[in-house]
Amino acid sequence: MKETLAIVEQLHATGVIGPYAVGGAVAAAFYLEPVATLDVDVFVLFEPAPLILTLTPIYEACAKLGYPAEGEAILVEGWPVQFLPASQPLVIEAVRAAVTREAADLTTRVMTAEHLMAIALQTGRPKDHARLTMFVESGIADPDRLRDILIRHSLLEAWTKFENRFLLP
Amino acid sequence: VNSDLQKIIQSKEAGRRRLRELPWLEKLEMLDKLRDRHLFLRQMRPKPDQAPH
Repeated sequence: MKETLAIVEQLHATGVIGPYAVGGAVAAAFYLEPVATLDVDVFVLFEPAPLILTLTPIYEACAKLGYPAEGEAILVEGWPVQFLPASQPLVIEAVRAAVTREAADLTTRVMTAEHLMAIALQTGRPKDHARLTMFVESGIADPDRLRDILIRHSLLEAWTKFENRFLLP
Repeated sequence: VNSDLQKIIQSKEAGRRRLRELPWLEKLEMLDKLRDRHLFLRQMRPKPDQAPH
């Protein structure tokens, strides 16, 4: 995984991809206990927004580095990486607000816990609800920041339903 | 909840908390291991035509 994220950062540093943020289960692992996942979701901002959005330059750059396409992903250092255009307002905001994590030999950008929670709520699959519950139990999120995101993206009603269904006794 | 069950729940919760507090680089290594284990278990699972009847 470290090598995979290093290549994603390299793609950013060399201008192949614009601002990006790791999302999904891999990003959640930065805040919670890691759970098994089979791929990496990388959300990418296209700025300025092109008339026709294409991922071809990413596929071509990865192919040159020896990383082949595999279905809807690109196999990078053993991990299928899905490069997903950030086109929806909440996801765009999540990429812009992402935090940089740096270690000696690795730099990467990860969505905040609050944005991951809001995206999980909006996506609303059973595995998203499970992840959301883990976030709530961990107490890691800033409640004010989360509430602010939920209000701005019209997710308060969905949050109340989630609370009633999964959190309240 | 009886006390034995309570102990098990507390111990599981402590384990989860330990994992949560691992440094992020170690968590990335764990993702590799979890993925490998998941794929191994999937491989070991009998295919539908091999399942006992």
